[in-house]
Amino acid sequence: MCSYFLLMVDRLCKQQAHCISFQQITHNTVSFPVAGDEMEFKKKSKTKELLETIDTCSLLELEGIPLFPSLDDNIEVLEKLFSDCSDFVIREFRQRNSERAAAIFVDGLIDTKEVNQALQSLMVLEDGDEDIRVIEERLLPVSQIDRVSDYKELLQAVLSGDTGILVDGNVEALTLGIRGAEKRSVNEPEGEAVVRGPREGFIENIRTNTSMLRRKLRTPRLKMKSLVVGRETNTNIVVAFLEGIADPQVVDEVSRRISNIDIDAVLESGYIEELIQDNVYSPFPQLMYSERPDTVAASLLEGRVAIFVDGTPMVLLAPATFWMMLQASEDYFERFQMTTLLRWLRYLFMVIALVTPALYVAITTYHQQMLPTTLLLSVAAAREAIPFPAIVEALIMEIAFEALREAGIRLPKTVGQAVSILGALVVGQAAVQAGIVSAPMVIVVSLTGIASFTIPHFNVAISLRMLRFPLMIAASILGIYGILVGVLLILGHMANLRSFGVPYLSPLAPMSIGDMKDVLVRVPWSFMEKRPSFLGIQNARKMNAGFSNKVQQRGGQAGTTSGGKSDGEGKA
Amino acid sequence: MRRLTPIVVLLLCLLPVAGCWDRREVNDMALVIAMAMDKEPNGQYRLSVQVPLVSSLGSTSGGGGGTSGDKSYYVDSAVGKTIREANNIIQSRMSRQLYYSHHRMIVIGEQLAKEGMSDVLDIVARFPENRLTAYLVMTKGKGIELLNAQPQFERFSGEAMRELVKMEAIAVSLKDVAQMLTTPGVDAFLPIIDAVDSHPKGKSKEVEFMGIGLFRGDKLVYMAKSQAIKGLRWFQRTFTPFSVVVSLNDKERLTVYFSKGKADLKPVIKKGRIHYDITVFATSVVVENMTSLDLDQKKNIALIENKLKKEVEVSVKDTLNLMQKYRTDTIGLGIILARQFPKEWRDTYRKNWNDHLPDITFQIHSKVVVQDVGQTTKNITKEEGGRE
Repeated sequence: MCSYFLLMVDRLCKQQAHCISFQQITHNTVSFPVAGDEMEFKKKSKTKELLETIDTCSLLELEGIPLFPSLDDNIEVLEKLFSDCSDFVIREFRQRNSERAAAIFVDGLIDTKEVNQALQSLMVLEDGDEDIRVIEERLLPVSQIDRVSDYKELLQAVLSGDTGILVDGNVEALTLGIRGAEKRSVNEPEGEAVVRGPREGFIENIRTNTSMLRRKLRTPRLKMKSLVVGRETNTNIVVAFLEGIADPQVVDEVSRRISNIDIDAVLESGYIEELIQDNVYSPFPQLMYSERPDTVAASLLEGRVAIFVDGTPMVLLAPATFWMMLQASEDYFERFQMTTLLRWLRYLFMVIALVTPALYVAITTYHQQMLPTTLLLSVAAAREAIPFPAIVEALIMEIAFEALREAGIRLPKTVGQAVSILGALVVGQAAVQAGIVSAPMVIVVSLTGIASFTIPHFNVAISLRMLRFPLMIAASILGIYGILVGVLLILGHMANLRSFGVPYLSPLAPMSIGDMKDVLVRVPWSFMEKRPSFLGIQNARKMNAGFSNKVQQRGGQAGTTSGGKSDGEGKA
Repeated sequence: MRRLTPIVVLLLCLLPVAGCWDRREVNDMALVIAMAMDKEPNGQYRLSVQVPLVSSLGSTSGGGGGTSGDKSYYVDSAVGKTIREANNIIQSRMSRQLYYSHHRMIVIGEQLAKEGMSDVLDIVARFPENRLTAYLVMTKGKGIELLNAQPQFERFSGEAMRELVKMEAIAVSLKDVAQMLTTPGVDAFLPIIDAVDSHPKGKSKEVEFMGIGLFRGDKLVYMAKSQAIKGLRWFQRTFTPFSVVVSLNDKERLTVYFSKGKADLKPVIKKGRIHYDITVFATSVVVENMTSLDLDQKKNIALIENKLKKEVEVSVKDTLNLMQKYRTDTIGLGIILARQFPKEWRDTYRKNWNDHLPDITFQIHSKVVVQDVGQTTKNITKEEGGRE
């Protein structure tokens, strides 16, 4: 062990120029009980410090530590770093007629066949070279190749799936982007299925995801800023936006907030969402997520910013507003009348999902005069044998429903059926027959459940479902007055909420009448000449005014271009 | 802000403290569907309430529904010096709280109607649970008998009466009665509903619309049969359709249904005498033709229209005669006079309008249009050429 240290110190002394960071380390050395002169002590402590710190440090702490010129040194450091890493491979080889070299990679992350071919060109087909620049320029036929000079960059690339090539006598290394990790194929997005529209959804691989977005937006204006977050996960993050449309301040703010994140791991976009959102305690999601490339592309075109996180198909969209979460991508593919009706249906059922149980409790315990007599008699007949007050009954049923829903999600699909049978039979029927809950309550709960499922985005649906409970309790104490107080508090909170500076309820509050065309209704495409203005976009116009006028004329485009009979009709 | 937060939280905590005081579960309530008010011979009031027995209404839970076989409602009544006292007596033997928000039928007994009903109507208007939209009817005899009737179609007689009043009779709500009682120049009237045996006689007793009770002030003066008072319908704000039988001769008759109608009144004061020009406009439909009249022919239509005109004029005249005889202004002639001649009304007539009523003269015109004769013109089962 001791001889190893001496060896290292020797080598270090030879390349003082690269040792700046090591000297910084020496300032806070611990005492080192070795006899000898001052100089000797310092040199030895440097080496020991490096290896001791290297043992525990994460990639971020390796920043600025340069590669050594000697291959053996590098290999020694790497072996120490990756001791007990069975999947980390250091393949040492000798280039044909030249210096020794090593390929380092993580098994399973690379495309072995392709890497073999690349190595072939160094070991078999061509004469090697001692200069890594020459190898990069002339010898390695690999399309994605990069030169790195410090450990952080090298290891980040290698751990992401690149293959590193170290050549003896060089202070730089090559990273070959020949990745071949296992990944899921592109599937239909399960969370956001559509009847009409593209059937592809994002997958866990960030490169595949960005390529899917690039396929939608083939323009150099689509920018993708790359960031890395997470001390241990080193998760790749891409901030995508359309330059010239998105508000540069928002883009900067998003990038700034993400790069400020200091956390050990980012395993899903939810981590990022919670770490960059404006209000921690709000029940409402302040960033939207989507697994559909078309939704993301459309959001970028509205001037929003997309945040891709490696390892999850969920792409974050910011700034988010409440109304966009009540819209589905299909809204823009189907005819506008249907879409408008569907939107209103969703708005209606959103209210139903929020207040129906509370209203039921309030009306049956305080405001019986509000029901038609015959309905009240039915309710009274059904509640006759029920031992609990309405609020207890409502809480029992609502909680049971939430449990059923949760159980249905977590269970494997084959068992899931059993849950639904149990739920339908036990809760739906037996409970009513046994006189524990009343039939109207079951209806109210089912209606609420169905209503919450009409909201296209799960995270909004679940926040509304959660807010039902305080409203129910308020209703049981204060009746409809309590519901009003609760709803006002919720509305006030929503009006107060911001997502990256954009009011959460915009364009309804603050009112922006021109943008109602895509919230209260969905106007035909030819009327959507402008992008939503509340997002602070740079270039508002979506289509040429002259063109949209043509389309809106009677006869549509045919009325103006084909001439003849239909032309006259178009002008009429 | 930091300091404000606990204060705001404390204030919010005050909200639930203010709650729950008027909480009542549906199964702790006795829903009053209909109530009847009578006057006992000793001068006390009898209040009767009809309350559905919710448990026997056939709920889905357990073995309810029909097995008990008995009535699905319960009528209780008590006597008290005031209505509220009677209510308290009923409440004291009822395990559930009486809840009046859903009663839509108030029955006034004959005796009470004769002795004046405004005293008892006070509680109905004063008590916030009651609704001014509840319908008011009166009955011959005791009101409680109407509540005890069990009509076949509805579960409660209260419900049956409500439907009947809306469809067949001239519906009078509590609000209408209040207005009629307080406005000078018009007198109140109430539909009369009686409990009658169905034919052939069965277990059930049906409720039937019998006529109109005419009031002067808040006291009943005459109970008119519905045929005798049908002229009143022309003068109502919303016309209730009815049908009449037209006799061509001794044997041949038609039934005609008046679908629309309204009356136009023009008062004239000449030398201190009040005269009304009354024009009735009516639209009618022939619903039954037992004659051999060919309704395809214009002259036959004109013939019917003439007959109908006479019929309408007679009906109005009968009604007015009745009103004059009992010195009650059911139509509201006084209001019309007051609008036309406010000064004269205020100076001379307002104080003793009912005494002026018998001296009024009328001229009645009518315009009747036969709008529709149905799907056939002649009686299709009758031989052709019976009559031209």
